[in-house]
Parts: sequence; structure tokens; C-alpha cells
Amino acid sequence: MLDGLLKSLLPLSRIIDSINAWLGRYLSWLILVAVIVSAGNATIRKIFDTSSNSWLELQWVLFGAVFLLCSPWTLMSNEHIRIDIVNNLMPRWLRGTIDMVGHAFFLLPLAIVMIVTGLPFFLRSFEINEQSGNAGGLPQWPSKGLIPLAFTLLFVQAISELIKRASIMRGLIPDPHENQQSTLEAEVDHLVDAIEKR
Amino acid sequence: MLAFFIDNMAPIMFLALVLFLLLGYPAAFSLGAVGLLFGLIGIELGLFVPDFLQALPERVYGVMNNDTLLAIPFFTFMGLVLERSGMAEDLLDTIGQLFGTVRGGLAYAVIFVGALLAATTGVVAASVISMGLISLPIMMRYGYDRRVASGVIAASGTLAQIIPPSLVLIVMADQLGRSVGDMYEGAFIPGLVLSCLYAFYVFLVTLVFPKATPGLPPEAVGFREANGGRGLTSLAILTVVSALFGWYRMRDSNTHGADFVVLTMFYGIMFAFAVAVLDWLIEKSFKVRVLSYIARQTTFVMVPPLFLIFLVLGTIFLGVATPTEGGAMGAVGALILGLLKRRLSFDLIRQAVQSTAKLSAFVVFILVGARVFSLTFYGVSGHIWVEHLLTSLPGGQVGFLLFVNAFVFVLAFFLDFFELAFIIIPLLGPAAEKLGIDLIWFGVILGVNMQTSFMHPPFGFALFYLRSVAPKEPYIDRVTGKKTDGITTGQIYWGAVPFVVIQVVMVVLVITFPAMVMHYKRGLSNVDPNKVKIDVPALDNLPPPDVQFNFK
Repeated sequence: MLDGLLKSLLPLSRIIDSINAWLGRYLSWLILVAVIVSAGNATIRKIFDTSSNSWLELQWVLFGAVFLLCSPWTLMSNEHIRIDIVNNLMPRWLRGTIDMVGHAFFLLPLAIVMIVTGLPFFLRSFEINEQSGNAGGLPQWPSKGLIPLAFTLLFVQAISELIKRASIMRGLIPDPHENQQSTLEAEVDHLVDAIEKR
Repeated sequence: MLAFFIDNMAPIMFLALVLFLLLGYPAAFSLGAVGLLFGLIGIELGLFVPDFLQALPERVYGVMNNDTLLAIPFFTFMGLVLERSGMAEDLLDTIGQLFGTVRGGLAYAVIFVGALLAATTGVVAASVISMGLISLPIMMRYGYDRRVASGVIAASGTLAQIIPPSLVLIVMADQLGRSVGDMYEGAFIPGLVLSCLYAFYVFLVTLVFPKATPGLPPEAVGFREANGGRGLTSLAILTVVSALFGWYRMRDSNTHGADFVVLTMFYGIMFAFAVAVLDWLIEKSFKVRVLSYIARQTTFVMVPPLFLIFLVLGTIFLGVATPTEGGAMGAVGALILGLLKRRLSFDLIRQAVQSTAKLSAFVVFILVGARVFSLTFYGVSGHIWVEHLLTSLPGGQVGFLLFVNAFVFVLAFFLDFFELAFIIIPLLGPAAEKLGIDLIWFGVILGVNMQTSFMHPPFGFALFYLRSVAPKEPYIDRVTGKKTDGITTGQIYWGAVPFVVIQVVMVVLVITFPAMVMHYKRGLSNVDPNKVKIDVPALDNLPPPDVQFNFK
């Protein structure tokens, strides 16, 4: 009964995962854009003795978009940082349970509250077409809109994680993170490759 | 019972946080959940007005508009590109050959290169990995003690945490509400002193256990002149002349401290580079050479790091760029360097932006979580509880500093730097200020202390990096053909212990001699605020306005 339900939910989880991974992979390029905008700001200010608040604010919006909208992808890759000193000593089922409980009772409520409070926060700004407090800055509502959007994506990602975690514990699918390299290990591998290629 | 709960809500909340964090669920969400849970309890008990939670999006928005935090992705991205540019390996090769024949020479070279790389970039770079791959095998080949070798490498890698433009200092300045430029000025001398302490430790080892750090046999180093000499005189003369040129160029400038050092080095290396290029051109056309090979090679490897130091620190100190923009300038510089050295590929940049995006997401979400937590925690006057606890410690300033440092030292075993910075620092700052402690000084002390979190066995990142590249099994050495034993994890841990002790000594030194840091007050050269139009409102770290609470 439960297994059947989970099996019918797994395709949903896959759709959510692919959307968030796709978003994360493409949005991460905004980092490069922000780097160029920021270095450009400093250079132009020095050379032409002029600066534009829109360009200064643009780097914040870019960064905000990256960290907010890449967060579901980071959750999916199991890379949000944990204090694993006790966790590592626990049996696998307990760790799985903690993740389930955490997703259900920590993350989902947090996301719901953020959506419920963030949406009016955005709408108020949108209705009056709120502009930046800095002369010549960007309108504020797009970046305010990122908040409810990001937590909505995080909410659906948490649902997907719950489905996957439950399926793993029922033995329906293998654990994708079982032999997962941590970000650190992956980093080390890339680097060793790069250095040895010299 | 209920009255007890209400009276002690702050301590209970703090304990709940510790418990939740220890469960091992991602810290960002645990923080947020505890804040939310106690916020709801507070509303239920009538401690807060019901629309208390409306303040949450504003807090996230505050994080989004924080200019300083932008430095996190910029410096991370710069570090990731730079690590792949081959700069560190070139430096280690050349400087290793330069110092190699001296007893302990390779260890000095590692410390020197570590400090130089630390001044270039702001993350615990994987300079540890480069050293583990390049210097460690040579050290093992010639019979260095494995503990000394691995300890020096791990510790030198962590210098990036305390020598500007360190990411740790940026986040610390942000959380303490001070200027990043001041934090850099303040940390500059302690960073240099610390590097010298590392070198002094190696010197002591060469005296007491000469066999632990042998010099390389002469045939092991390259760059020979036609007459068989090493050409060190030529290098020494070039160095002195370049330094004099730099000094001459800077003699009338009104900069001092870190700015002066950075700019003098920049002019010096430009001069040496011009000489080396000229020498190379002359050799091409007339077959006559003035500089020795080693002098020329050393100049060429020193140009990229000193150029990057100028690009990042120089522009910050000159007031051309804000610290955040300095990070972006450095990232562009690293990209250019990678292009020139033909090490840059689409794949490399893709890896770098993706790793940066994920790191930014988890780091900034810890801060978002911490903001949600602090909204409630400050609401139940938790900050006053902590401040009261800390200011009532016996011994005034000194007692406070000793306690706080012991506390952070222990926490650094379990917590990552960012968790310490976003959860603990905002609570310590106000108490320190109340006791009349200069917050830049305080930040530098904590910075040196937190550096241990990277070398504490068993979770320190630097040790982890080293473990992943150091050989575990016995192997056949490529050059000598002899069978060489691997390095055990125990040796790596024990090697780190003396350096953890040095860190503690350094903390004591900074506490005893505040002048090391306080000179930052002399030269306040930051970007002219009239030119950067935006003033980031300093609301971020303040408790929410009192009107939102409804204490009964």
C-alpha cells in the first residue's frame, strides 16, 4: 500500500529534481556575470570617475538569485552543511529518519512561513512598483519576488526529498548519496587531475 | 512551570539549538526551524504579537542586500580558478629548488609559498593539495620526518585564513559591524608574525632534530650555470636592487603599514620583471646573459602572485575598490592568468561557477537560518542573557578574552568556520564592545583562533585535503627507485599538534601586544564614501525594533 503510493510518487520526485538541477546549473553562471559587473564597476569608477547605482545593485540581485535559487539544487545534492560528528555514529535507518523528520518538521514549515509572509512582502512592493532607495537604482520588487519563489522551489524540493528518502528506506530505490563523494572530495579529485595534467 | 519556561526561554532555546544541530540535520534549516518553533511558542504564550513573523522576509532581504557577503562567491571563485592555473605549483618548484639545500629548506619554502598564496587569495585553498602533490614527495624522498613535513604543509595552507584578503576576515568584519579594510590592516602584521613563528618552529626542529629536516643534496636541485655555480649572487643582487627601486619609488608616498608593503613589493617586482625580460631579449639576440637562470626563473614565478596581490589588496588599500570589488578584480585577474598560461577551459570555468554557487547557497543559508533564529532569540532577550553572562565573567577584559578564546577553541573542533561566524560571533561582539575591547583587535584574535578549526584533528579541512593526496601505502620513489613508506593518518594528526600549539601562542601574543593590530587606526584609507553612492544600511545586525514585541 505504502510502497504503491511511493512508486506512484517517484516520477513526481524525478520531475522536481530535474527542474531544480537544471535551474541550479544554469543560474550558477550568474556568478561569472556578477564578477564581471563588479570588477567593471570598480574600474569604471576609477577611470571615468562615475558610478551607477543600477550596476551596483545589479550585482546584489545576481548574487541573491544565485544563492536563493541554487539552494534547492544544493539540497538535492545533499551539500547543505551538517554537523556530522554525532550523525556519523548513528545507524543508517536513524540517519534516514532524522532526515525525514527534518524535512517534514523543520524545512517544510520554514518554507511555508517564508512563502506565506514573503508573498505579501513581494506583492506590496510590486503593486506600488517600489523603486530603490538609491538614486538611479533598480526597482526593488524583482529581488523581493525571489524570496517567495526560492522558498516555493525549496518546498517542492523538500517534498521530493521526502519521497526519495521514504522510498530508499522501503528499499524501492538505491540511495543516490550512499557512496557520495562530498563536495570536498570531488574538489580534491578535480584539482589533482588539473595539477597532474601539467 | 510555565513561568519558569517563560523566564528561561533564552537558555532553553539555546539548548534546543545545540540539540537540533547535533542531530546532524543541515544547520541552516535547523537554525531556522528552532527560531520558528520558539517564535510560534512565543506568540502562543503572548510574548510576541501575532504578526511577529512578518519581519522574516525583511531579514532575508537584508542578507540579499549585504554588499560585504558578495565577497564570498568572488573570493571562492577566484580561489577555484587560481588553484587550476598552475601558479602554486610553479612557485613550489622554483622556491623549493632555491631553498632546498639548506637544512629545513623545503619546509621554509612551503611556509613562504603558503604565505604568498595566502596574500593572493582568501580561501583555504587547496594550496595544501598543491604542496601535498609537489613538495611532500620530495620531502619524503630525502628523508624528512613525516610528521614535520605534513604539519608544515597543513599549517601553511591555513595561513590563507588570517593573511588578508581572507574570507574569514571579511565575514568577521561583517558580523562585528566593522570595516573590512580596517580588519585587513589589523590582521596584516599578525599574519606575518604567525608565518615567522612557523618558520621559527622549523628552525628549532633543525637545531634539535637535524635528521628530521635534512637539506637536499646539491645534485637534487636544478638551475645550474655553465661554471657549475648556482647563480645565487645574481639573484641576491637583483632582489636588493629591486627592493631599493620599490622603496625609492614609494619614499614620498604617505602610505604606511600594509599598503606600503604591498605597493613597494609591486614596484619592486615590476622592476625585476623588466630586468629579466630585457636580459632574456639580450640573450636571444647577442647570446650574452647577465642574470643567472635561477634569478630569472624566480622573477618569472613571482610576478603572477605579486600582480594578483596588487590587484586585490593594492586596489583595496589604494581606495580604488571596495573589498568586495577587490575579490571580483582578483577573480578577473585569475581568469586572465589562466588564459595566459593556457590552463583555462570551458569545463574548468563551469566546475568553478557550479562549486561556487553551491558553496554560496549553503553558506548564505546558514546566515539566513541564523537571522531567523536571532529574530526570536533577540525577541526573548537572548542577547541580553548572553551579554550578561559574558560581561559578568571575573577578570574584566582579560578574563573575557581568555574565556571566549577557550570556548571558541573547543567549538572549532566541531563547528565549521561559517557556523561559528554566523551563530557565535554576533553574540560575542556586543559583550566585547561593552567591555571596551576594540572589535578589530577582537576579530583578529578570533581569526587566529579559528584558524585551528582547519587543523584540528580529525575534521580539520587542511588535514582532510592533505590526507586525500598523501600516499597511504608504501610506494617506489620515481627518482631514487627506493621503496618509500606512506604517511599514516596518525602522523598527519600528530604533525598538526605543534602548529595548533603555535596558534595558541599567537592568540596569547596578539592579546598581550595589541599594538600589532591597533596600528590600523593610523591609516584609514578606504574607498571615498562620496564616490560609492550606496550606503548599506547597518540594520542587519540590529535586533528588530522593540515595537514588535508585546511583553507581558
